[in-house]
Amino acid sequence: MLLTIDTSDPRPIYQQVADGIKELIARGKLAEGTPLPPVRQVAADLGVNLNTIAAAYRALQDDGLIVIKHGSGAVVASRTPTERSPDELLRQLRAALTELVLAGFSARKILTIVARELK
Amino acid sequence: MMDPVRAVVIFYALFWVIRLNGCVRRGRQPRLRGADWFFNVHVQPGFYDGPGKQLLRWYWMRMMIPFAVDIPIAIWIFASGRLALLGWLIIGLCALIHANHLISVDLAERQARPFAAPDAEPPVASITLSLTPRRLRDYSNGKIELVLIITTACAIVFAHDHRAGWKAAAFLIYMHLGFVYAKSAIVAWRTDHTEVHEARRRYYLASCDWYRALLTAQLVAWSLHPGPSTKVDVAVWLAITVVSTVIVEIKRKQLARLSARAKPVTLPDLLRQSEIARWPVCYQPSAPLLMLKGARGYSINLANTFALVGIAYVTGFVVLGRVL
Repeated sequence: MLLTIDTSDPRPIYQQVADGIKELIARGKLAEGTPLPPVRQVAADLGVNLNTIAAAYRALQDDGLIVIKHGSGAVVASRTPTERSPDELLRQLRAALTELVLAGFSARKILTIVARELK
Repeated sequence: MMDPVRAVVIFYALFWVIRLNGCVRRGRQPRLRGADWFFNVHVQPGFYDGPGKQLLRWYWMRMMIPFAVDIPIAIWIFASGRLALLGWLIIGLCALIHANHLISVDLAERQARPFAAPDAEPPVASITLSLTPRRLRDYSNGKIELVLIITTACAIVFAHDHRAGWKAAAFLIYMHLGFVYAKSAIVAWRTDHTEVHEARRRYYLASCDWYRALLTAQLVAWSLHPGPSTKVDVAVWLAITVVSTVIVEIKRKQLARLSARAKPVTLPDLLRQSEIARWPVCYQPSAPLLMLKGARGYSINLANTFALVGIAYVTGFVVLGRVL
């Protein structure tokens, strides 16, 4: 299971790590119960501060996507219905769609992108 | 029976032969990728006729440091007649040769960087990492480990009343633990996710396992013949040393070919190592690495558990040396 981090991406590294793992979980590539590497390993492989990866793992834990057990590491949590309201989630979708429209994408193109990403 | 001191002298002579081979190999390493390369630095055309000539000479001179340390000590050992110390000299030189090479290559690359070709690759913008946990047990064969543990335990139980020889057993077990420590450090070693680096990791781990197996075999041999080695014993160990050296060289060549084909990659310095590591040792609790690559060379991170265990191990080795 591979995760790619782009240093030219404006998002901070911890956000990229959290988003990358989130995406892998959403795609079903990281199944429930799959162990994640320890913070130290990810931080060493990326060559970043330990706190950067710890922050990413904490963010994932707050979202209920992973469970961190002291001593035995982090594992992917079971997929339970999200606690966030549909309105809150739709707000994020709307913001992303607005960005695409402002970037000049047509409705047809946006639908194609969404369909491709959902695959 | 063979005098143990005589056996150590034979091994020291063999060590010189093996070292000369390693010296020739390391001497060729700067141009392993071709005439346009100096180690992993893509250099300008004509580099070796200009500044490269001097850098190459300095690199070769630095390769002689272990010899400069070895020769006077060996002369003193032979002159004083304390030939048993040759064994400790071999162990010390093994560590010195590897450390010297690591530092020397890093220095040579830094010296060559101002002469890099204009089209030389900048640090990569993206890093791909594996999300598969990397633990010591993932790189260990359970059956082999069990055999090593049982064999070691049996050898100790079988020969527990050979009190005169406990020093040899203690030394072998301590060396064995050292290779387990080395394995853990290699598993944790930072690498980008490429086939070459994974192959290199597996090669070093296999080497550690091979040396551990040899130490266990030596422990078993000691438990069966606790007295001085016979000529047959020494001949067998010499044969094993020669064969294992040949196997290691073949594997190393395969790995070198694989490495030469892979494009060198410069990883971005996200940790700002060149700023936080200015001395040979540093204390950076938030840095996950054992060795930081500073502006002037490597720096050992004393906040890393591996560094502390390593220091404890070397101290233990010194204590063991005094006791033995």
